[in-house]
Amino acid sequence: MEVTQVLHMNKGEGETSYAKNSIVQMKIISVATSIIEEAVVECLEKKLTAESMGIADLGCSSGPNTLMVISEIIDIVYGRTNKTGNPLPELRIYLNDLPGNDFNNIFISLPEFYKKLKINKNIAQEGCFISAMPGSFYGRLFPKKSLHFVHSSSSLHWLSQVPRALDSSILKPLNKGKIYISKSSLSSVHDAYLSQFKRDFSLFLKCRSKEIVVGGHLVLSFMGRVSADPSSEESCMQWELLAQALMSMVLEGLVEEEKVDSFNAPYYAPSAEEVRSTIEEEDSFTINRLEAFEIDWDGGAPSNNNFQNKINKIEKYNLSRGQQVAKTIRAVVESMLEIHFGREIMDELFKRYAELVDDYFSTTRAKYIDLVISLTKKD
Amino acid sequence: MDLEKVFHMKGGLGETSYSKNSSLQKRAADKVKHITLEAIEEMFVESRPKSLGIADLGCSSGPNTLSNIKELVNAIERGSRKLFEPAPEFRVYLNDLPTNDFNTIFQALPDLYRELKKGKKHGNPSIYIAGYPGTFYGRLFPDKCLHFIYSSNSLHWLSRVPPGIYNEKGESINRKGIYISENSPPRVAQAYFQQFKHDFSLFLRSRSEEVVIGGRMVLILLGRNGPNHVDRGTAFLWEILYRSLATLVSKGEIEEEKLDSYEVHFYAPSKEEVEDEIRKDGSFKLDRFEMFEIEKDTGNSSSSYGKAMAMTVRSIQESMISHHFGEAILDNLFEEYGRLVDEEMAKEDIRSISFVLVLQKL
Repeated sequence: MEVTQVLHMNKGEGETSYAKNSIVQMKIISVATSIIEEAVVECLEKKLTAESMGIADLGCSSGPNTLMVISEIIDIVYGRTNKTGNPLPELRIYLNDLPGNDFNNIFISLPEFYKKLKINKNIAQEGCFISAMPGSFYGRLFPKKSLHFVHSSSSLHWLSQVPRALDSSILKPLNKGKIYISKSSLSSVHDAYLSQFKRDFSLFLKCRSKEIVVGGHLVLSFMGRVSADPSSEESCMQWELLAQALMSMVLEGLVEEEKVDSFNAPYYAPSAEEVRSTIEEEDSFTINRLEAFEIDWDGGAPSNNNFQNKINKIEKYNLSRGQQVAKTIRAVVESMLEIHFGREIMDELFKRYAELVDDYFSTTRAKYIDLVISLTKKD
Repeated sequence: MDLEKVFHMKGGLGETSYSKNSSLQKRAADKVKHITLEAIEEMFVESRPKSLGIADLGCSSGPNTLSNIKELVNAIERGSRKLFEPAPEFRVYLNDLPTNDFNTIFQALPDLYRELKKGKKHGNPSIYIAGYPGTFYGRLFPDKCLHFIYSSNSLHWLSRVPPGIYNEKGESINRKGIYISENSPPRVAQAYFQQFKHDFSLFLRSRSEEVVIGGRMVLILLGRNGPNHVDRGTAFLWEILYRSLATLVSKGEIEEEKLDSYEVHFYAPSKEEVEDEIRKDGSFKLDRFEMFEIEKDTGNSSSSYGKAMAMTVRSIQESMISHHFGEAILDNLFEEYGRLVDEEMAKEDIRSISFVLVLQKL
């Protein structure tokens, strides 16, 4: 599976779209707000950005979250420059995601967005330029030294490819009956994943180091774990239950066993230690902060955002928590699963998945671990 | 109606998409390719930037967009080789209205990058292609970031239908047409001309902040020969569209009132009108101005010229027509359109004129 060609969040604004099912990711963005603010303010204080500030969001996806993040960052810059009396720098804002991302969806909202900027903050068209830079962030995306602040949320747990040792087009399947690291997986499965993560994350840092100015900041949020055990529930359970749903369909002859054996998620949730050591080895960035937050599988208590509150209320009328969670997972993984298992089984698969999640909820408070890292580009 | 939210070429890759129906636009661009390439090469030799900004304004969606980029990048690479210098870093800015189908262009980017980098030293050329949605009647890009602007078949689209063609009651005074025609009251032509002046001067003013001194702009757009506003070549296609719509009115498929109120946001300027605005703006000098015609495509004999024209115009106008009249009439409308084009072309070979301008930033 060619990840960069296949992976994309579900497009549009329909029932199963990412736009309608991304409250978890929104929660993740909001827990990092104070860290983002700290980083942006430091950038401004260093006067690196006096005339023109380059800001990038890597893995921007589409839907309401995309412009929400940008809006937050602009708010911080605006608030700060107001306080210090400095003029607002020209804002160059770059939205990046894979070429298959639904950029059209974001663009349609831009005229309104610009209008609000003008009305609320008197930021004119020549003060703020928002563009899209499609491509994989495991590679160069931007011209040298063109960025001051880079943000990436809910993206870096996606690997550039399924780890080579697990690519069963070449080798016998190593991870039978499973689609990610699990308690029963061989240690070689974990080794393969960790090795792929290290390679990808180092490449990510190396590329960004060329694009970010000295003193510029990077704030990254992605799925991880606090446990040293790579098969811990906090980092694997969502995949474990998905594998169980698939295997139940195998038992009924609805899905071929071989298909499950040959599918492995191009995903890795590293431990804080693994992240730290990769950053230190790559050596282009100093670590300002490395924190872990617990995020409920269903996004937890409603955030401060009124818009999402409305959606939560409507959804909660008719759906169980398991069904809600299943929708958020479906919006993210469907593109990959469809290619491998076929579109026909998706409805049934996620129906079963929802039931398994509801079961799991009855005994456990299901949580993801979200790592938030704040970095500064070294000399 | 906010044009920015409605107007776009038909997206995707289907039968009626712009992607599949833009060979006419390609032939226009190809016809003056030598002028485009000369302009960018001249600019490059004069300024030798290490980081080169190139923008395509009204890039649309489809094979033309990416083949343009390829040609421009190849031209600069050739230029660099001749000077025994490494190629510059390329910053490519693709602009169109927010409703343009950028997704389809973006999905084709990985292949384009691969093609550009094939057989070259690792990572070369350094090229970064981004999409900048927005109207070019206003600022689009950061200060002084561009060395070369290309805009093909976009500047004849106005920012809006001129308000001057509506009376105090909000009704159009251009009742027997959808563009300037023989039946139009003189005020109509004046209103369109005023809107063009407003738009084109805003275009020039905005670009003047974005283009470096010595930077070049190559603009290709439909125009007309001579001062007379009623020009056979450009008005032809709109008249046919009007007559096709009128046919549907007579068949009861469209309300007459809907047709009366439909006007296009288009203007084909004369050479003098264009030169005037450039002179008045004062930030650019006109290095070159040529007029050309595109020959009928005699290659494809499987469908009639009329049908091909109908498909081309449909991919361009569909968004506006369906917004005003609804989608149901589209098939019938363009069938009639194709038939009328063939009928008229049998009587007389009518061609529209295009302009190609090369401007240099002072």
